[in-house]
Amino acid sequence: MLKNLPFILCNSCRNIDSFIFEKILNMKHLLTAMCFLCASAAGFAQAKVIPLDKSPLDVCYFPENFPMLKIQGKAAGPLLARLIYSRPSKGDRIVFGELIAYGKLWRLGANEATEIEFFQNVKIGSYKLKKGRYTVYTIPEANKWTVIFNKENDTWGSFGYDPKKDVAKITVPVQTITDSVEIFTISLDKISSGFNMNISWDNTKVNLPIYLQ
Amino acid sequence: MAGCVNKEQEAINSGSKDADSLSLLSGKNPYSSIDQSPMDVSYYPEGYPQIKMAMPQQTAGPVARVIYSRPHKKGRIIFSHSENSLCKYGQPWRFGANESTEIEFFEPVVINNKNLSAGRYVLYCIPQEDRWVLVVNSNLHSWGLHVDPDQDITRIELPVQEQKPALEDFTMVFKPAYYGADLIIAWDSIKVILPINFSKS
Repeated sequence: MLKNLPFILCNSCRNIDSFIFEKILNMKHLLTAMCFLCASAAGFAQAKVIPLDKSPLDVCYFPENFPMLKIQGKAAGPLLARLIYSRPSKGDRIVFGELIAYGKLWRLGANEATEIEFFQNVKIGSYKLKKGRYTVYTIPEANKWTVIFNKENDTWGSFGYDPKKDVAKITVPVQTITDSVEIFTISLDKISSGFNMNISWDNTKVNLPIYLQ
Repeated sequence: MAGCVNKEQEAINSGSKDADSLSLLSGKNPYSSIDQSPMDVSYYPEGYPQIKMAMPQQTAGPVARVIYSRPHKKGRIIFSHSENSLCKYGQPWRFGANESTEIEFFEPVVINNKNLSAGRYVLYCIPQEDRWVLVVNSNLHSWGLHVDPDQDITRIELPVQEQKPALEDFTMVFKPAYYGADLIIAWDSIKVILPINFSKS
């Protein structure tokens, strides 16, 4: 039954470009298998090579680089926020309006939906959020994005999105950047009494201020 | 004295994000490039987020997840007595690269006859030729490995087993077991298995 679901098909390649990537992957597997056979015949030990995910997971913190600051003894206070997301690359594609459709829910990355954890209560727009883990989605449009914080955690893609579990929904303007950003990037940058969730990819940048309570 | 900890210290001193980095992948991104030892996540049940998306009504919460970084072997000697190995026997190792490896339990579990409440822990090990000492510690959110025995929760000796086929990428995955789950920790031609008991006591 699981196999009938299209996104389960993408299981072996946890990426947005699943079908194209899967074809490449299959070819790679074939080549790897052929190499393995040749190497085995020649009596060499061959390590199993699993291709690196095209959109690897990454993490960012506020305060920025907190774990490094902590072990250097330079952390001025506790960890306040941590965001875990996957980082697709632009390649030759046009990102917003093509790869990522305007007006449709996007998981803000690839693979598992993006997760943010607040280690103290925060305020986003007029919404007060208690400390804890949240899933972040967005609905991008040409000149504004709607950023959504949702209480359903540990999800994959945007398939399981349930608007009843939204805890904040904020619209922020889109800024255009001249130097195109190749790899999808989120950082948490200090502002007065909080931090900006700074999202950038291709020629698009969005800033969402989050205030510590 | 070229063990993991010292290499990490050098990396910290030089400000490099990854002790294993050969070069950065892209110069284009003005913020930060993709890491040579990218982060990954494994859930128990295995593939939990996908399972939940397929059957949202029937799926209970996850039991555990591990967040770790995945260095590649790249022809290097990983575990040995040699000073040139990436992880010299007897030197504490953070299970990966970059940030310390973090394991989260969403319900209470038992490891090594020790009750662990739901929550987050750091995992690290001291590898030896035939057995590893695996340590569960509560000093969270560190880069590299901050060895802090005062915050150790439990230490368990695990026999080293053969991994076939040998793995290029450092790998941590959960597999079901009759008592709960096994956390399989594998790289190159070896693996260790950490039994995790789910029976609530």
